[in-house]
Amino acid sequence: MSNQPLENAHTFTLEVSNKMGVHARPAAMIVRIASHFSGEIWVTKKDGERVNAKSIMGIMMLAAARGSELTFECTPEDAPELEKQMSDLFASKFQDE
Amino acid sequence: MKSISLPEYVESISVRDFYNSFAERLLLRLVTSRKTLSRSTIRERSLNRPALAVTGYFKYFANKRIQLFGAGEMGFLREQKKEHRIQVLEKMATKRIPCVVISRNLAPTPEMIEVFERFGVPVFRTSLASKAFTTEVTVLLEERFAPRTTVHGTLLDIRGIGTLVRGESGAGKSEAALALLERGHSLVADDMVRVKLLSDHTPVGFGDEMSRGFMECRGIGIINVEELFGIRFVRIEKKIELVVTFTEDLEDDQIDRTGLDRKNFDILGADVPHMEIPLRTGRDMARLVEVAAMVQAARQLGHDSADDFNQKLIQKMKQEN
Repeated sequence: MSNQPLENAHTFTLEVSNKMGVHARPAAMIVRIASHFSGEIWVTKKDGERVNAKSIMGIMMLAAARGSELTFECTPEDAPELEKQMSDLFASKFQDE
Repeated sequence: MKSISLPEYVESISVRDFYNSFAERLLLRLVTSRKTLSRSTIRERSLNRPALAVTGYFKYFANKRIQLFGAGEMGFLREQKKEHRIQVLEKMATKRIPCVVISRNLAPTPEMIEVFERFGVPVFRTSLASKAFTTEVTVLLEERFAPRTTVHGTLLDIRGIGTLVRGESGAGKSEAALALLERGHSLVADDMVRVKLLSDHTPVGFGDEMSRGFMECRGIGIINVEELFGIRFVRIEKKIELVVTFTEDLEDDQIDRTGLDRKNFDILGADVPHMEIPLRTGRDMARLVEVAAMVQAARQLGHDSADDFNQKLIQKMKQEN
């Protein structure tokens, strides 16, 4: 939960589309993917807080319900692979339904 | 990590061993000669009331079990003709029954002693009533017949939760155990934990009598827990309710971050809740084990932190939507 912007950050936005929203299990999946990358990754909920994508409590505190938009910020090196994996995860509705 | 040895199953116990171990608790007196104790074995951990057998019906006769003669069986036998008595008793003896126990201190008929002596079947009298004898002997046999194994680890009683700490040699199990003793918890067994499975689903751990209360701590040597901490810090045995494994090679992927997914550890076929804690320099493993035990205690009472938190979160998201 820092306000320090990333230098040359690459950003992309995904919509939460599963019925239950980002509860513990989806949050764990996001953190699991984020932890594979060495660079910093931040997530911001629209009109909400900015949290570390590698922190499970942080992700859960966003309370991202269905329809929320989450914006990811990451380093340019991590960007292509991270965006691909996160997009797949969000598209799969976190295997939650 | 091979830390659990092959289970041993007890197929039978000798009547001599049974008598030597439990004569006092079961108030047993041997009526036949000591010679009869030499060959008989109990092959099933249960009793049989031979009421049907004494009437001459031997189909499905449970011949591997201790035969308990109560007032009913004895009364019936006495009312029979002598030839009939000898006939059924001989038939029973040829089925290789382990032994005969007569409850309420009832007197065996002369034929009983004669026939069973001749066939080498020990006969006992007990002053216990059949019901009391049945209850006592069931517990004792259950214990004697329990499958056994040995697990490498340290077993502690952490506020009532029997917690088995596993990990490679040198992972710091004993150090963690020592720190837990310092915090007031007690030691059941260190290094070699003997386990018996009671009632087919309850694993109970204990230490060898020789090493009870002792543990080895690298750099210090063998220490006597009872002497250093006191008798309250040593327990003879404890049901294993939680397994905590210290792991070095756990990938980030495999670490449970939420606690929503339950894992089990198999001990003699029983599923015991299992938590894996990654070893990292500087982590206070003892404290983590203590918290793991408290989490398990809460779960047993029906409270689940991970699930409670998740439900709260789901509720919050519903309201905001």
